[in-house]
Amino acid sequence: MQRDYHDLWGGAAMTATGAAVALYCLGHYDFGTMRQMGPGFFPVVLGAILAGLGLLIAIPAWFRAGVVAPFAALDAVVVLAAIAIFGFGLTRLGLVTSTASAVLIASLAAPRGGWLWRIILALVITVLTWVIFKQGLQMTIPVWPDF
Amino acid sequence: MGTWDGILTGFAVALHPSVLIYCVLGVVLGTVIGVLPGIGAMAAISLLLPITFYISPEAALVMLGGVYYGAQYGGAVASILLRLPGTPQSAVTTLDGYPMAQQGRAGVALFASMMSSFVGSVIGIVALVWLSGWLASIATEFGAADYAAMMVLGLVAASTIGSQRPAKAFAMVVLGLILGCVGTDVNSGASRLTFGRTELLDGINLVALAMGLFGVAEVIGNIRDAERKGVPEHVNLRQLIPTREDLRRMTLPTLRGSALGCFFGALPGTGSTISSFLSYATERRIARQPEHFGNGAIEGVAGPEAANNAAAITAFVPTLTLGIPGDPIMALMLGALVIHGIQPGPMMLDAHPDMFWGLVVSFGIGNLLLLILNLPLIGIWVSLLRIPFRWLYPAIIVFVCLGVYSVRGSTFDIAAVAVIGAAGYLLALARFNPALLLLGFVLGPLIETNLRRAMLISRGDPMVFLERPISAFFVAVTVLLILGSLLGVWRRAKKAATPTG
Amino acid sequence: MIRIHRQATLALTAGIAILAAGMASAQEWPTEPIHVYVGFPAGSSPDTLARLITDPLSQRLGQPVVVENKPGAGGVIGVQQMLAGKENYSFGSTINGPLTTSPRLVPDTSYDVAADIAPVALLATSPLVLAVSADFPADDLAGFIAAAKAEPEAVSYGSVGQGSGAHLTAELFADAAGVQMLHIPFASYAEVTTSIIGGEINSGFMAPSAAMPQAEAGKMKMLGVTSTEPFAQVPDVPVMAGNAGLPADFRAELWNAFIAPAGTDPAVIERLNAEIDEILKDPKVQQQLMTMGWQAAGGTPDDLAQRITDDTQVWGTVIDKIEAK
Repeated sequence: MQRDYHDLWGGAAMTATGAAVALYCLGHYDFGTMRQMGPGFFPVVLGAILAGLGLLIAIPAWFRAGVVAPFAALDAVVVLAAIAIFGFGLTRLGLVTSTASAVLIASLAAPRGGWLWRIILALVITVLTWVIFKQGLQMTIPVWPDF
Repeated sequence: MGTWDGILTGFAVALHPSVLIYCVLGVVLGTVIGVLPGIGAMAAISLLLPITFYISPEAALVMLGGVYYGAQYGGAVASILLRLPGTPQSAVTTLDGYPMAQQGRAGVALFASMMSSFVGSVIGIVALVWLSGWLASIATEFGAADYAAMMVLGLVAASTIGSQRPAKAFAMVVLGLILGCVGTDVNSGASRLTFGRTELLDGINLVALAMGLFGVAEVIGNIRDAERKGVPEHVNLRQLIPTREDLRRMTLPTLRGSALGCFFGALPGTGSTISSFLSYATERRIARQPEHFGNGAIEGVAGPEAANNAAAITAFVPTLTLGIPGDPIMALMLGALVIHGIQPGPMMLDAHPDMFWGLVVSFGIGNLLLLILNLPLIGIWVSLLRIPFRWLYPAIIVFVCLGVYSVRGSTFDIAAVAVIGAAGYLLALARFNPALLLLGFVLGPLIETNLRRAMLISRGDPMVFLERPISAFFVAVTVLLILGSLLGVWRRAKKAATPTG
Repeated sequence: MIRIHRQATLALTAGIAILAAGMASAQEWPTEPIHVYVGFPAGSSPDTLARLITDPLSQRLGQPVVVENKPGAGGVIGVQQMLAGKENYSFGSTINGPLTTSPRLVPDTSYDVAADIAPVALLATSPLVLAVSADFPADDLAGFIAAAKAEPEAVSYGSVGQGSGAHLTAELFADAAGVQMLHIPFASYAEVTTSIIGGEINSGFMAPSAAMPQAEAGKMKMLGVTSTEPFAQVPDVPVMAGNAGLPADFRAELWNAFIAPAGTDPAVIERLNAEIDEILKDPKVQQQLMTMGWQAAGGTPDDLAQRITDDTQVWGTVIDKIEAK
């Protein structure tokens, strides 16, 4: 039987998130009273509402057919890896090294082979970021790795 | 000093070459940083501040002001072309601006955004000159209960933005509200949902959230689409100029957006992001065919863009007339004045009329410059769409990261972008609307702190929400709105039950 | 002769060179740019204050002094980042909170002030003023205390959050005056000011520079200042100490200090302390600080250490009492 898997999983995720937030906050923060609402009041109430809404989304989805959109897992991994490398490298490896490596990694996902355009692109973007953020906006970030 | 004398003095100050050059510099820089995703007026102004020590206070304020409202123009460009908001304020512009671009109407969308930005600014300036006293008195009049009631109304009014399934829309709003809880609780000092990270004590970075949800998620979803839809073969003038029908549909939303923006801009602590969301919600509410929204309705571009620009101007009302900065950027600007030995406060206008009027006139000049600068740029921006996406997206990733880093120099925030981006991609796949999450995130802390503060101030009496006239008004409208929606649901259910024939 | 002389000279130079190399760290410091971490955004008051010091410091040391803004967690992130920086080239300019109250109030502060931080110099101090709205029935401190004594929580006050300087000062005051006031936390001084002017709350402890313009415009009244001497920016506001039944040593001050990680070369700290002390004696710097509402301080690293110990103790007692409630 066909089901609307996106809403099914989406709703389930909302219920899980909401329940987790509500239970965690109930256990960790003071709920308070109406007059003096504690830090737990809002997250607990909101978590419970989210959990309920998740069910409202997921249950009808079980009984109806839906269109499944393709999941670009590889692209996601590549893009997130590029961001992670950039974030890790910015203060350690400097602007130039981290920009160039982030661009090269990100470009792995592009639906086109060849290395020349990738290297040119990395050079162009590296120069651009250096001009805009280091020269133009005078951000205090290292340009090269600090040995 | 009378208003007209003041304006004349203002022209003398603002047209002086030593000030005018900084006005030009400010607006150009503002446009650039507005277009660049992630980096916004806040970061640019803090980076520029040390420079202003060496120029006159008038020039300093004019330049920083130029960056501030200039960024509002630029912010819409990437929202429309790439579904990547340049600033959080223009996130809502993606909802209809991007579909317009996909339909080959990117030029028209950009024109609508520039034009309504300009009109919004002009109306904001008029309000600043003639209504500042009134707006300032409203700002002090508004208490915690009033803010809470107003924000709840905003949330209820806006939570149907662009979604067919109400449960999914509400889920996004609630998720946004939950994310807004992260960080130190203002009332108790407890740190909530921070899991031992000091970086989370001040909450999730708004820019990281907006960039992750929109920018990163959009990049991931689009890499494989080699040919992006709606790319014009060649740009001609026809595609850039809106039809008479477009102009007609833009007019009222622009005016309403400007009015909303003027109001919210003047209230301390609310600001332009909220006003652009509420303008969008208003337009969608009162539209005859709300189903057009989300599918390229020009009203959904014109209204919010007018609102955020008007708000950027009237944000100066409490700053200049009360000496109270309404948002962190305004606090920076007041800081710039203190360096120059000018004490901000209610007496500042009397003590330095030249500065006030010079600033007001520079707003006019700056916005005119922005219009002149940006209209010819539309053609260039649209041709940006012809660059293959594989050339663009690595640059977008790097710019987003650097923009987010610029907010508070934190590499933790870059990591946050990756996590939020992953979640945002999954949400987009399951067709959840990220704009609603952002709305909940922005309004949530305001609602919570004001609600709890109102209860504290009233010593625990919930009647405070009905006793204060302003708050009672908002509560009444909220109740009507909810009843109206329920009535609509009931009617539709009834219609569905009776066979059509 | 000449040859011998030349050889002697060579030997001598070589000897000096070897000696100099040994002393390089203390003598030639600094040989590269210095980083000063500030836990607040560029343009904020602690940042501007830091820059007033780092600009002349850079000229005196002959190396760029780069201000690194690492805002977050009330200044704690700035201190954390400083501790992670390069030895002898990483310093911090911070408000009092991260050195006194944050380790108790902020979870996961991750540093121990006594063990990890080397004080360099106290930069500037500022008292707070007790401000009330213009239509508050009392005109002086005694009247305010009387009004607050009418019943518990008869008078409300705003602060910039739980555990903020404004909150702790108000509780210190309430304890000394024997009153109980209703605490309303806000996110910023701008909101507190708006709320007092709008008449929603009664009072607040705030920076003199924030209250003064409102008082001049007749929208607020300043009833007392928390320093032991009248404060130059608001000379007419009476000191609270010894006034209206408050103890004669009643004092609550905010301050900014220059600090270093604990492992920093003592010679470097001594040098920095001397330079900063001279910068703070410059009348121009003093004037600029006063415009921003700060009184230039100075003194030895030990003076700052004493200040940290004293304040940690005073505020610790206040926090104990708040937590016991």
